[in-house]
Amino acid sequence: MIEQLRQTCRRLLEEAKVNVIIGYGQSSADGPAFPIFITKPEQVDKLVWNDKCYANLTTYLTRNDVKALGKPAIIVKGCDERALVVLQQESQINREALYVIGVACDGVGNPRAAKCLVCDVHRPRFADEVVGDTAATDAGGGRYLELGEFLKKSPAERMTYWMEELSRCVKCYACREVCPLCYCNRCIVDKNRPTVIDTSATLKGNLAWQIVRAFHLAGRCVSCGECVRACPAGINLALLNLTLARAAEEHFQYRAGIDPQKTPIIGSYSLEDKEEFIL
Amino acid sequence: MSEVITRKNLQDLVNAWISRGNTAAGPVFVKPDVCMYEKLSSGERLALDSFVHPTNSIKEFYFPRHEKIYTYRFKGQKLELDDCEPARTPQLILGARPCDAAAIAILDRVFNWDYKDKFFNLRREATTIVTLGCAEYDDNCFCTSVGLGPTAEKGSDAILLPLNDGEFEVRCLTDKGKALFAGKTQTSSQEAKPLSGPENRVDIELIVAQLEKNFEDPAWREIALRCLGCGACAYTCPTCHCFDIVDEGNAAGGARVKNWDSCQFPMFTMHASGHNPRSTQGQRQRQRIQHKFRIYREKFGETLCTGCGNCTRNCPVELGVLNTLLSLREHALRSSSEVRG
Repeated sequence: MIEQLRQTCRRLLEEAKVNVIIGYGQSSADGPAFPIFITKPEQVDKLVWNDKCYANLTTYLTRNDVKALGKPAIIVKGCDERALVVLQQESQINREALYVIGVACDGVGNPRAAKCLVCDVHRPRFADEVVGDTAATDAGGGRYLELGEFLKKSPAERMTYWMEELSRCVKCYACREVCPLCYCNRCIVDKNRPTVIDTSATLKGNLAWQIVRAFHLAGRCVSCGECVRACPAGINLALLNLTLARAAEEHFQYRAGIDPQKTPIIGSYSLEDKEEFIL
Repeated sequence: MSEVITRKNLQDLVNAWISRGNTAAGPVFVKPDVCMYEKLSSGERLALDSFVHPTNSIKEFYFPRHEKIYTYRFKGQKLELDDCEPARTPQLILGARPCDAAAIAILDRVFNWDYKDKFFNLRREATTIVTLGCAEYDDNCFCTSVGLGPTAEKGSDAILLPLNDGEFEVRCLTDKGKALFAGKTQTSSQEAKPLSGPENRVDIELIVAQLEKNFEDPAWREIALRCLGCGACAYTCPTCHCFDIVDEGNAAGGARVKNWDSCQFPMFTMHASGHNPRSTQGQRQRQRIQHKFRIYREKFGETLCTGCGNCTRNCPVELGVLNTLLSLREHALRSSSEVRG
């Protein structure tokens, strides 16, 4: 499978179809995988694909340093590809100027990451080509189980939980930087004329920041889980995003990054829009 | 002969310390798989094994992520200012890694340079730091490459060395350390075995020479390409100490505060004009490494890195100081072999 992936990449570079391959590399067989940028056909042997390939590489597509390399080919898992759908809907990428190599995925992590246990996009659906195969089947339906358990707690218990969790946030913004959909040139927390959100990593400032971020991702977050993986304080930020993802699905039958033909809920308005979920 | 303390007595020591109205901090498992230095509510929360390095550093307890310098109030046309006094409550940090304690001694230099930082110094005075020798290390550790090791004593008031049966040998290094453990230890014939650290991973002298002679190294662009520009490395680093000063308040008044900042953020060097002298991530990564291994050394004679590995451990894309230094060496060797051709 890895040979097929490398061959595809070699061909794309040799035929000058693309200028750079955004993929995964590894320093040693048992070491962690990390993003690499391949610009020459003779470098394609550096590419790897295995269950350590956590990163959602689509976050690089909107970055100036990477854009400067020219037309990219990108390696995506099914979950990462959902971010591509949203980026395209929001006119952040030109799909024609991008070659998408999908990898069929059994899941990442050993034991498997939480998102993989409820995955229903093991095979990328809109890639220019898909490499490999997987026996994994759609988990179906379990994606809000963890949230459901959490919501069984009383509001006071949930508040205590978030106060404890968010007290550990130092505002390193790793959650924002790994997120493919946090692509604003100037994030609202960096606006200082005037300051909109306290820059201080106090409980008040942290709560404001994480709530603003979750709301900005409402109906957009594709649950790739990168923010949770990146957080040095181990904060389960996914619970915030899942709450809004579930609201989008329950009230608008909408899941971000699943159907490119559907109008994004935040980008559309209908007189039939229900409002009963607004407190 | 050695002085020995049991885990139970260490916990009691912490509890007695807290009951006197003092504060204590140390490694705590905040989740089953996440260990962090946290304020301790009791000695029982203290983690003394089963972790390599907490995901944060102890700098938080000297140089908090957020600190008020003074408060202000508008009274008509007048402005009233009030100084903020740093806490002088005696503080105990127990179970810090040697690489964290060493960092505080390194930070003494910059916080007592052209300006003596009262906040840092008063906390430093009020703090007793007891380190825990490292029984394990991981692929991210490189303390031995920067002249430290699993039992390095720099910055510590006392060091604990694990013995076999849940006991610790105590070596007091300063008067503060002696005062803390006076009457709390038993003399024993047991002595801790020497602990082994990671092998030497990178020749720092070669790095320094490379940084000195090749500021415009083209390697930076390539190395930093995958850097996402977050502050996970800097904020979990025991030696990174940059901060921003901002006013937070409303029309009635507010506070001028010091908040952690990182050279990896584009905003760090953004001018009011919109011009940014470090406009690429390569320039920002270069700054971080140049500061740690050349600039700080030229100014203060010390390397601004203790090899704790937190930058790599917390990096979402496996960068961090060690991997960056290794890549720098690889680039240097590659280009010199290209020249020899």
